[in-house]
Amino acid sequence: MINKIFSILYKDLKIEINQSHLFFSVGLYVISSIYIIYISYQPTGILGLEHWVSIFWVIILFSSITAVSKSFFQESGSRNYYYYFVLSPDELIFSKLIYNFLFIVFVTFLTFLVFSSLLGNFIYSYSFFITLLFMGSLSISNCLTLISAIGHQVKNNSILTAVLSFPVIIPILLILIKLSKMSSSEFSWNIIQDDFYLLILLNIILIAMTKILFKFLWRN
Amino acid sequence: MKLVKTLSVLLLIYTAAAGILLEVPRLPILNETIRVLYFHVPMWFTMIFLLLLSSFNAYKFISTKNIKYDLISYNYAHVGVYFGVLGIVTGMIWANYTWGTFWTNDPKLNGSAVGLLIYFGYFVLRNSIEDESKKAKVSSVYSVFAFSMLIPLIFILPRLTDSLHPGNGGNPGFNVYDLNSQLRLVFYPAVIGFICLGLWIANIKFKLLKLTDKR
Repeated sequence: MINKIFSILYKDLKIEINQSHLFFSVGLYVISSIYIIYISYQPTGILGLEHWVSIFWVIILFSSITAVSKSFFQESGSRNYYYYFVLSPDELIFSKLIYNFLFIVFVTFLTFLVFSSLLGNFIYSYSFFITLLFMGSLSISNCLTLISAIGHQVKNNSILTAVLSFPVIIPILLILIKLSKMSSSEFSWNIIQDDFYLLILLNIILIAMTKILFKFLWRN
Repeated sequence: MKLVKTLSVLLLIYTAAAGILLEVPRLPILNETIRVLYFHVPMWFTMIFLLLLSSFNAYKFISTKNIKYDLISYNYAHVGVYFGVLGIVTGMIWANYTWGTFWTNDPKLNGSAVGLLIYFGYFVLRNSIEDESKKAKVSSVYSVFAFSMLIPLIFILPRLTDSLHPGNGGNPGFNVYDLNSQLRLVFYPAVIGFICLGLWIANIKFKLLKLTDKR
């Protein structure tokens, strides 16, 4: 099972590198949206932590929705048909989860890099914030993978994926924004532990639901 | 069903009469508006109950592939969302008198608004698919997934932060100050009454849905 997961992952990454336009388009999306924020906050720049954190996560949210909604659409119909014979649904969905996670980690760190170089940053405890970025990418990818699989079943899909994922992703985003605000001061496990455990719990729920529900969604 | 209907009528008449006439504890800020407990809170209980039934039937559909369960699930979600909207409206009227504004940034308000957004998304999803069996499959999967995200949103997140709602964050509440359980005398019957009313409406709507359904 692990072998098959990694071979699909390898195939997806190879396609990604060969047709690098998706990779670059998402990168360009991130950079241009941050540049719009940069221009609109002239001449003072972002002064408050609240603005910084919320705009940061909103940019990540939008660019990851654009990135993830593509992950199922690049599979053609005949390739899907081939998958039915050689793969189990669990193998396919786990490879997609890992692939989306890698993609969103790329988006998140690109956003962090560009965002902090253009707009400054308020982060004090870097190690905690970077852990949070990983956790955030993991949660967002877990949340969006099943939604994009649902959107794949519908014809006018790209807008529907966005509409369906907004409400579902809000609890995750609320926790991430709350935790990011705490990383601007000295790190203390006592303050963040409740929210951190909740984030882990949400991830467990999301992965479990994705694993259970995808096998019903997959075959036509 | 007959029992549900009788219970619903009797308990709601009792709620309407006793909820307005019986003695209530005098609490600061709340005063007489405490009576909204009998009407606003049961709406949420009913919504959660109906949505639970909806997602349970959605799961039953995807495991048995019987199209009947999908219709039942859709029907319960529809009625549940009505109750959710009523809950928001009664809460907004109450908030205008006690907090001085219709809407504030309160975790419970955010949770319930997002919960309703999830189900509006569900209706959009259903309407955007033509093929009946595909519609049933995809929307059932979304329904189960969305309900599993609704639970942390409504039951866990608001409890981690202070809320303006009575009983949270140092505001006068029902459980602590209500020593002789006067409120419970009406509140529990009201909850059961409204849940029965919800089931009754869902039952009638399901009959109508079966008649208008062309399959």
